[in-house]
Amino acid sequence: MNMKRMTALLKRELRDIMRDKKTLVMMVVVPIILYPLLILGMAFLMNAIVSSQAEKTYLAAFDVNEEAEERLLSILESQEIGYTVRIVESKDYETDLEQENIHVYVKEEEDGTFSLYYLSASDQSATALSAMRTLFSLYKDELTEERIADAGMDVDTLLNPIRYENKDLSSAEESMGNMIGSIMPFFIVTSILLGAIYPAIDVTAGEKERGTLETLLTLPVTNFEMIMSKFLAVSVIACVSAFLNVFSMGGAMVFLVSSSLSQAANLDISIRFETFIPGILFTLVVMTFFALLVTAVCMCTCVFAKSFKEANNYITPVMLIFMFGSYAAMIPDLELSARSAAIPVVNVALLIEGLFKFQYDYGLFAVVLFSNVAYSLLAVMILGKIYNSEAILFSEGLSSVKLFKSRRDMEEKQMPGLGDVILILCIVLLLMFYVGTYAQLKWGFGGVFVQQLLILIVSLLYAWYMKADKRKLFSLEKVKPLQLLGAILFGIGAFLLGLIAGALLTPILSESAQNLEQLDEMIAGVPVGILVLVMAVMPAIGEELLFRGFVMGTLKNRCRPAVAVGVTAVIFAAYHMSLLRFFTVGIIGLGLTIAAYRTGSIAASMTVHFLNNLTSVLISVYPKQMEKALPILFKESLSLSDILLLAAVIIIGLKVGWTLMNKKSLHS
Amino acid sequence: MIAASELCKQFERTILTEEKGKKKNRKERFYAVDHISFQVEAGEILGILGPNGAGKTTLLRMLGTLMQPTSGTVEIEDRDGKRISDPILIKRAIGYLSGNTKLYHRLSTREMLLMLAEIYDIDKDTAKLRIEEISKVLDMDSFLDNRIEKLSTGQTQRASIARCLIHEPDIYIFDEPTLGLDIISADAIVNFMKEQKEKGKTVLYSTHYLEEAQFLCDRILMIYQGRIIKEGSPESILSECGVTNLRDAFHQVMGEVDAK
Repeated sequence: MNMKRMTALLKRELRDIMRDKKTLVMMVVVPIILYPLLILGMAFLMNAIVSSQAEKTYLAAFDVNEEAEERLLSILESQEIGYTVRIVESKDYETDLEQENIHVYVKEEEDGTFSLYYLSASDQSATALSAMRTLFSLYKDELTEERIADAGMDVDTLLNPIRYENKDLSSAEESMGNMIGSIMPFFIVTSILLGAIYPAIDVTAGEKERGTLETLLTLPVTNFEMIMSKFLAVSVIACVSAFLNVFSMGGAMVFLVSSSLSQAANLDISIRFETFIPGILFTLVVMTFFALLVTAVCMCTCVFAKSFKEANNYITPVMLIFMFGSYAAMIPDLELSARSAAIPVVNVALLIEGLFKFQYDYGLFAVVLFSNVAYSLLAVMILGKIYNSEAILFSEGLSSVKLFKSRRDMEEKQMPGLGDVILILCIVLLLMFYVGTYAQLKWGFGGVFVQQLLILIVSLLYAWYMKADKRKLFSLEKVKPLQLLGAILFGIGAFLLGLIAGALLTPILSESAQNLEQLDEMIAGVPVGILVLVMAVMPAIGEELLFRGFVMGTLKNRCRPAVAVGVTAVIFAAYHMSLLRFFTVGIIGLGLTIAAYRTGSIAASMTVHFLNNLTSVLISVYPKQMEKALPILFKESLSLSDILLLAAVIIIGLKVGWTLMNKKSLHS
Repeated sequence: MIAASELCKQFERTILTEEKGKKKNRKERFYAVDHISFQVEAGEILGILGPNGAGKTTLLRMLGTLMQPTSGTVEIEDRDGKRISDPILIKRAIGYLSGNTKLYHRLSTREMLLMLAEIYDIDKDTAKLRIEEISKVLDMDSFLDNRIEKLSTGQTQRASIARCLIHEPDIYIFDEPTLGLDIISADAIVNFMKEQKEKGKTVLYSTHYLEEAQFLCDRILMIYQGRIIKEGSPESILSECGVTNLRDAFHQVMGEVDAK
């Protein structure tokens, strides 16, 4: 990829989009001017209505006994009912009500009941009725108190035998966050969609309609550069537009809340808006990642259309699906969990809701971001495939579009590319989340077996499908005993380093205890032989074939060694879906990757992986015996000599292992 | 110089077949371009003639590396005489113009040319100089900074030519460049091709206007159903067929193929 060409293309796309009036209106005018105007306008309107109700004079006519009339009038004068009511005469109340000469008519019936005549079809009459109801309720209270006092009893003890009141322990910020959190996701998703849709159509179907696509194809740029520049341009626009939306809407809301608070200053509530800043910052990060996904999906859809109009039709269902997903935040009691963290759209909605409710779970946060990146990558890759298809570029009809080559058309003994790595990782991710999690919920420990089996099958199937050179891809080479010893020593060093990292990080990232308990519960009662098979043997084969085989085998063919090893280790660490394990497993994974790379044989990393997992299994099954054998691993606090011993083992392990692993190249 | 060797392109089409009284849609692969080989030298204009659907556009798209051939290769010779087959490098050496290569409406001609220069890796000062030059030659000064959507058809045509000139290519591929143009605009293009030939550039162009081809081209390729059915200079084709104009020659050669 040539960065200069890429920037030139990106600049052109952005300039082109920004010169489109439709985009500008959607992006700037609507969020910056229209939304705040709408919100503030509505608020002012509501205020105006309420205050006009209070200021208005309502006309009432009474036909009641003298004593009642006198007392009612005196209550009216005291202005306790909150409405201005003027008493007028009425000869024919039905006509007067109809003609709005009076708004309410009070008549004392023969049995002493007071009837309140009004028109439910008239707003003014209905308001006048509620004024009267307040009036009569006050009148009734007055009479009750008098009668109780006349009977020689204490009014207060009789009327209020007990007292109760609400005490809200939520801070004002928490209640406000709760409210904002349930609306915000829908609003954010919608604004990202609105920001992305027009430019997405413009750069795909719009470009086809205007006939500039073929011009673009005559330029010396690769399809990848072309697609990435379009993708980035639309993402930038979608992000900017969503940010503008959120800030203008948020600003309007803050203005509303603080102005209504200043009106009700005696309530003694003050909201410290700065408490929301971390939540808002995280929200912006999530929004950026989510905008990538929305952009990719929108472009994938629009690319099939030949014109703006056609694209509009295609995009509507996509928009509805996204908006529907964002409703998740409005469902009470639905919170972000390990299960929902990978469901697209829903995870973002729930995460943003949680952020405004001051629930920061960094582990889940990472999972949401990671899954969004994975989905976007998948979508971008599909987009790349579509854009590679001449049927789409030259509008030859959709029936001849082929996203995936059939196995028959594959060349023999080829090596996968970066796209294949992304695709296989996305497949694994999706299978883990949907099939793996389901299996684990249903069968407990059996589910782990299913997960491991899936990983193994996916890498083998993919390699078979593309007729890959399996020996080269999976590094299926023999390993010399000395090299193997080196790998094991190196593995011990990495294992201990991982343990130390775990011990240091656990207090900071307090998430491990619960996970460990769940694991213990799951493996309770499972025979040791099966535990070793599922938790040590299978990962050593399946995970190694996928990560040190497929991923690293591809990368080392295409990138520098350091990049290949580093990226493989990071992917392996991220695959464990936990922030703590990202670091601990990451270190061990790096050790495994180096072992596989340096020995040139996957057998080395498989062996080390097996031994590492075996140790973990033995520690959880035979903690006492293991503590006796390796006391240093179990100590709460280490003495100086322990630390020195550990450091020595790590350094020697890594150093000697490193040298021994390289024996092969020394000989050959 | 640009050379095609054994160039093929297969497409899929749906055909309606009848089997036991049932109508069925069946997909079928066919050659839009069927093993075509030829070479065009520097200072030569090659005209590609053929009826609609003969495969002219597909052939030119493959030569411009806009489309990937199903099999066969396209090669060019750079200024040092080295043979090149990398699509990106080939694109850098080609100016490609067709009815489907529209311009960016929302940019001005100057902005578009500057953007292209950036993509072709031409430094800014050189690009500015070249734009001044091209603008003078094509008489574009009056509308250089207007948005392209506001230009007249003739002005747009000149802007399109400017697009092909900015990177000073050695090879020009024009797919029906005079289609639908008035006499003045069409003549401008024809003259442009002649000038380029005199400058020693390679020119390939397809057209339906046989008279235009007859006096402009050094060599002619007649294409029908994806194959070359006749090749040679206009004079040699006329004498072989024993006729006085290309129109009659065209009908005669096509008739021979259909009869087979």
